[in-house]
Amino acid sequence: MIAPGWAIEGVGLTRRFGGFAALDGVSIAVPPGEIRGLIGPNGAGKSTLMDVLSGRAQSWSGTVRLGGVDISRLTAVERRRAGLARSFQRTNIFPDLGIGEQIRLAAATAERDNSEEVMAELGLAALADRRAADVSYGDQRRLDLALALVGRPRVLLLDEPAAGLSMSESLTLAGILRDLAGRWGVTVLLVEHDMDVIFSICSRVTVLHLGKILADGTPDEIRRVPEVVTAYLGSTVE
Amino acid sequence: MTSASVPAAAAARRPAGRGYGFVAGLVAVAAIGSALPLLVGSALFLTLMTQAAINAILATGVGFLVRQNGSVSFGHAAFFGIAAYVVALTLKHAVMPAELAAIIAILLPTVLAFALGLVIVRIVGVAFSMLTLAVAQALYELLLKWRELANGDDGMAIAFPARVFGVDMATFQQPHSMFLICWLILMAVILGLWLLARSRFGTLTLAIRENEERARFIGYTTVVPRALIYAVSAAVAALGGLLFVLYNGFVSPGTLHWSLSGEALIMAIIGGPRLVWGPALGAVIFFFIKNAAGDFTDHWPAVIGTVLILVTVLMPRGVGGMLVRLAGRVGGRRSS
Repeated sequence: MIAPGWAIEGVGLTRRFGGFAALDGVSIAVPPGEIRGLIGPNGAGKSTLMDVLSGRAQSWSGTVRLGGVDISRLTAVERRRAGLARSFQRTNIFPDLGIGEQIRLAAATAERDNSEEVMAELGLAALADRRAADVSYGDQRRLDLALALVGRPRVLLLDEPAAGLSMSESLTLAGILRDLAGRWGVTVLLVEHDMDVIFSICSRVTVLHLGKILADGTPDEIRRVPEVVTAYLGSTVE
Repeated sequence: MTSASVPAAAAARRPAGRGYGFVAGLVAVAAIGSALPLLVGSALFLTLMTQAAINAILATGVGFLVRQNGSVSFGHAAFFGIAAYVVALTLKHAVMPAELAAIIAILLPTVLAFALGLVIVRIVGVAFSMLTLAVAQALYELLLKWRELANGDDGMAIAFPARVFGVDMATFQQPHSMFLICWLILMAVILGLWLLARSRFGTLTLAIRENEERARFIGYTTVVPRALIYAVSAAVAALGGLLFVLYNGFVSPGTLHWSLSGEALIMAIIGGPRLVWGPALGAVIFFFIKNAAGDFTDHWPAVIGTVLILVTVLMPRGVGGMLVRLAGRVGGRRSS
């Protein structure tokens, strides 16, 4: 039973593809202001969980609450306007639009326009007039994050924001994320394969395996769970 | 759609110089075109130019749909033809004054397109194009076969009153004056669509065209804006149909036929659909090629087809896109 007062919670989430359960009765709850890591091997159900929470998935069962309010029946657009934002595994931007143009467009749906602030915080201000397709991959990933962060959402779901970045870029991005989440009070659920990023910024980590939660705890606790080491971490973490 | 206001910073960051340049260029083109009836005495040439201007309006509607929604319509002649038939049928049965009929001739296809758009803009790519074709051909067949309503293939001659909107009907039916009317309306349409494309709504529809899923996840519904663009493009096509019927005083099912939709699409591709004014340029080029090649052979469509292939291969952004590129190079050289 999950206690009330969570920023985001999913209860008994199940999503099946034919006979295969990508999510099998998963319950997860993240308190306000926490950066929660979500890890697991490929096919564990991480992206499916993000899709169910954000309203992207069709035909699933269970309950999703945002700040205690049931948003299970809301569309992705309604969930975004309620304060639930997300980024995607692949860079998901508007390539032909200017960087500033698209961030301001995203800000227009929010209660307050903090587009200039977001551009400054993510180091995109100097690129505001550049076409998104013309900037580097790293800049595009930061733009992707900016599109999710603009308007200061209450909860941010990030699906591998550091994918394809170098180690230094990943750690820089992690630092920005930790800083902004702390200052703005944004709750983050972070899917990431880069364990350096996960263990450097997450206060708790949830491990998914075969559509179920295998473990949940602080980074130190997770490192010591034998099943997690066997199923996912292997020898990559000392 | 959100009701949030346009951020002040967005307007401030727009390159204003480029905007003034576009408006100045459009005014210059409008002025040059307006001088044509004074400079050219040939009624045949002005007839050709009037037809080109009317078709340019249709092509501009088709091109705007490609530009903003990324959707290709094979059925925009339906809106052109409906407008023409609304005028013909209402005047035949004397149910309303010609001025009101003219207004409804624009509004009805626009509303129909919006309602249709709410359904079909959810479908993308070739399937969307085929649906537009199917709807337009169904309407064409309806008007062709329902002789009691629309006199079938024989079409309908329209008995206009002596004056419409306070203007002598002869003004609408003489090429010297009608070219001027059509030309200035075309320029106004281009200016209006250009302003729409630069608005936040225009940016939103471009964003949806680019990445519909991401547009949803930044908080925008995507169907209504796309349907609105479809309706706007239909309204422009309907305006062309209204001018067509005022000029010709006659309408037949051919105004709804897919071949007219296809010609408008070809004009848009030749001129460059990513530019608001590109399809209009394509229409002028199309009519000049048709006229010049038609003097030598009945197979002028083969010449148009060859030009289309050459433009598609050599100028993927159309003749207009190539002109913009050349202008950019010349401007770059001057400033360097």
